[in-house]
Amino acid sequence: MLESYKEQFLYPKVQFIVISGEGKILASDDILFPFAEKENIADCHPFFESILPLMEPKEDALSFSCVHIGEKICDINCRTFKDKHPLITIHDLSEHYESLQTVAQKRNETLIESEILTLQNTYLKEKEAFKRTFIANFSHEIRNPLTGVFSFTEMLEKTSLSDEQFDLVEVIKSLCQDLNIMINDILDLSKIEVGKFVVNNEIFDFSELLHSTEFIYTTKARQKNLNFRMHVDKKLPKYIEGDKTRIKQILTNVIENAIKFTEKGDIDLHITLNHKRANKANIQFRITDTGIGIPKEAIHDIFTSFSQVHKDNKYPGTGLGLTIVKNLVTLMQGDISAESEPGRGTTISFNLKLRFPLHYKETARKEKVEKKVLFNTKKKYNILLVEDNKISQIIVLKILSSQGSFFLDIAENGTQAMERTEETRYDLILLDIRLPDVTGYELAPALRNHAEKKHTKTPIIALSGSMLGDGKQKYRKAGINDALQKPFQEQQLLQKLHKHLK
Amino acid sequence: MITSKKIVLLGHFGVGKTSLVRRFVEDSFSDNYKVTIGVHILKKEVTLPENQVNLIIWDIEGNEDITKTRSSYLLGSHGFIYVFDTTRKTTYENLASDLEHLKTTYNNVPVVVVGNKSDLVTRSHMKENKAYFKPVDYFSSAKTGANVDTIFEELTKKIIL
Repeated sequence: MLESYKEQFLYPKVQFIVISGEGKILASDDILFPFAEKENIADCHPFFESILPLMEPKEDALSFSCVHIGEKICDINCRTFKDKHPLITIHDLSEHYESLQTVAQKRNETLIESEILTLQNTYLKEKEAFKRTFIANFSHEIRNPLTGVFSFTEMLEKTSLSDEQFDLVEVIKSLCQDLNIMINDILDLSKIEVGKFVVNNEIFDFSELLHSTEFIYTTKARQKNLNFRMHVDKKLPKYIEGDKTRIKQILTNVIENAIKFTEKGDIDLHITLNHKRANKANIQFRITDTGIGIPKEAIHDIFTSFSQVHKDNKYPGTGLGLTIVKNLVTLMQGDISAESEPGRGTTISFNLKLRFPLHYKETARKEKVEKKVLFNTKKKYNILLVEDNKISQIIVLKILSSQGSFFLDIAENGTQAMERTEETRYDLILLDIRLPDVTGYELAPALRNHAEKKHTKTPIIALSGSMLGDGKQKYRKAGINDALQKPFQEQQLLQKLHKHLK
Repeated sequence: MITSKKIVLLGHFGVGKTSLVRRFVEDSFSDNYKVTIGVHILKKEVTLPENQVNLIIWDIEGNEDITKTRSSYLLGSHGFIYVFDTTRKTTYENLASDLEHLKTTYNNVPVVVVGNKSDLVTRSHMKENKAYFKPVDYFSSAKTGANVDTIFEELTKKIIL
């Protein structure tokens, strides 16, 4: 303590400078800076040059804190007098200010870092959004050529082919179906990620779904010399209120996976009722196989997008199946888990929280038997196809001409569609959702409301590639009666036409 | 004849005021952030077609609230460069009111508004913040040197006019 006081007295840290009104140095004790050798204070440091104009011959004082002069940090006081020369005092407070600098540095760095992290997070989200839009658009674009391959293969199949040629056509069809499943998986995942995936709630026969699952997979497993066994809890409700298509998709993905990775042995599907309360049922599904299994360190990766634990060419796939399953299960308020032992097999368990109707009469149900649609050639229908893609145009033209019941007009964009509907009254309009000048959602109401309202009641069927977030509500709002997803098969188009032209 | 003009760089901490000055005066840049406390004063001559001006540049410590800037630092200023960081919203979300404060308090002192670190932001970020960036005169990067000389020259022109 004493040393510190001594130091202050022995080594003073204040410099006194007397200047003239013009800044000429009249006296300086040069304790801190060697200013005496300079002629004018303005030449000593730009600080003095900028404050000189502020110093007027009157009783006044100007104080400046924390000014960096050379290597020192000082407080500077400038006193002016009415009848005396101005006096400048410089206090060296470097030590004090340097300690403040350390504190400020830490504080500012922390604040800036957190703000930068927020920005980086925003960029990541932007990138993700771009990726999702890209996938959705890409999948949409890939559907047009796929529709072409699908449809032309079907047409080719009807021509006179040798047995060998017929087999080759069957292979092409099967590959197209695989490709279609992959695109659907990618689209499903995009929809889930952007929160546009909607789970439908409709009453359906759960026991029927289980029967058909048993039939399909017993046959499929037998082809690989495997046993597929299903164990169903008798307490399960017969009817369920839920999304039949998606529940089927979950089961299909998990069972297909089990069959794919099992070379010999059994695949068991256990379905049990966890609990039932009022009209809510918690149903447990457990699929066990005797396949190659999954190493412990990779068990969590099986529900991650594009990750495949077995990268062997023997087991091809996109690695999306189980990711979609996990997301679908979560959407149905369930949980999913996996257990496995390499070489011994894997068990995938999940539960779904579903509703079931307390009093439901079966008579209300209609048997859905998909009959092959054929049109009566005596009656002719006027159809307008609004589609810019040439391949899609040819496909629709070929399918319709094969029936001999249709006159087909084609419009390649919204403007042409408006012109055609003004000239002709159509029995049905097939409308592509993505047109070069307008979307189908915008065009449909315009078609209904123009040309003396010729088409207020004409059925409009949307043709769409992506169906991303395109719920029934969106179609209905635009005045679209139905939708057909690309790639479609001949019978799918004919069935839609039949349904709306009846 | 050479005239001397005092200009002050204003804005939040960490927006790159010191880096802009260093790029302009010494043509150098460092990624290491060192907080400015108090004020550093530097000088550089700017040559305009008809004038030569000695710019005395006051690079002052950053402040989140412009009204709390030490008033002694702003005494006798001929021009201001208001700098914000285009990557940090907190540094420009009060831009309009800060400029209004300058206009009210220093009515005749010209101001050049600069969005710095423009090399770090995307186009979509610029679009999103279009409303905030409306009063901006220049987007700059002390790192690449983009627009740095222009900012100081532009302010000098405004002062001389």
